[in-house]
Amino acid sequence: MAESKGRPGSAGQRPTGGDKAVIGGRKQYFRRKKVCRFCVEKIDDINYKDIKLLHGFVAERGKIVPRRISGVCAPHQRRLTDAIKKARNIALLPFASSF
Amino acid sequence: MRIYEELFIIKPDTPEEEADQYVEQLQTQLTTAGATIDKVEKWGKRRLAYRIDKYREGFYVLLQFTGDANLVKELERRLRVADMVLKFITVRIDETLKRLEKRKKVRDKRAAKRATSAPPAGAAPAQPSLEKQMTETPAMPGLPKEA
Repeated sequence: MAESKGRPGSAGQRPTGGDKAVIGGRKQYFRRKKVCRFCVEKIDDINYKDIKLLHGFVAERGKIVPRRISGVCAPHQRRLTDAIKKARNIALLPFASSF
Repeated sequence: MRIYEELFIIKPDTPEEEADQYVEQLQTQLTTAGATIDKVEKWGKRRLAYRIDKYREGFYVLLQFTGDANLVKELERRLRVADMVLKFITVRIDETLKRLEKRKKVRDKRAAKRATSAPPAGAAPAQPSLEKQMTETPAMPGLPKEA
């Protein structure tokens, strides 16, 4: 019963979004709860021209950092992807930085 | 009438006065066609994030204007034809601006409400804790720290 409820041992679990303390097994993890930066800092405008801001949400290779890692909430992530894609279009951000 | 934003890149090897002249020309054309120019910003020479037509940098120019949709068509045609323009992007911003204004209004209202309803004793401690939150949160794990 408990198995089916979805608490398998910590071994096979995906390292996803982080507010859960995975209890069980020998190690005890505690991940600090991630919060959306835009909500906390009350940034309303996610503008494609604000490269300084966008740069923090782009990985080294130019990929958009997924929500499960950055902790951005869904509405803001949507705006963010839009902005990043616009910025890419006008060469403010790379599509892929390979050099 | 809508508000548009036109950001375009001019080739880095065009003489500055020529580029200025071109931007000026665009403005006059827009105004004669019935638009009002709200803002012109020259960002100067910037490195491009990727190579465009073998150029690694370019002059960025931002043009904000109010006008109708057919103006944009004309402007884009002009930009496409021009030799010195590498790339351009048109963004309609009136709705975003409206949304932002609305958000701001709500925020202001809430702040005002908080200031009036709560006595100073209640309002004062609320502020520092928020600030504390702000200063603490940026240290998010997993975010690439690279400026």
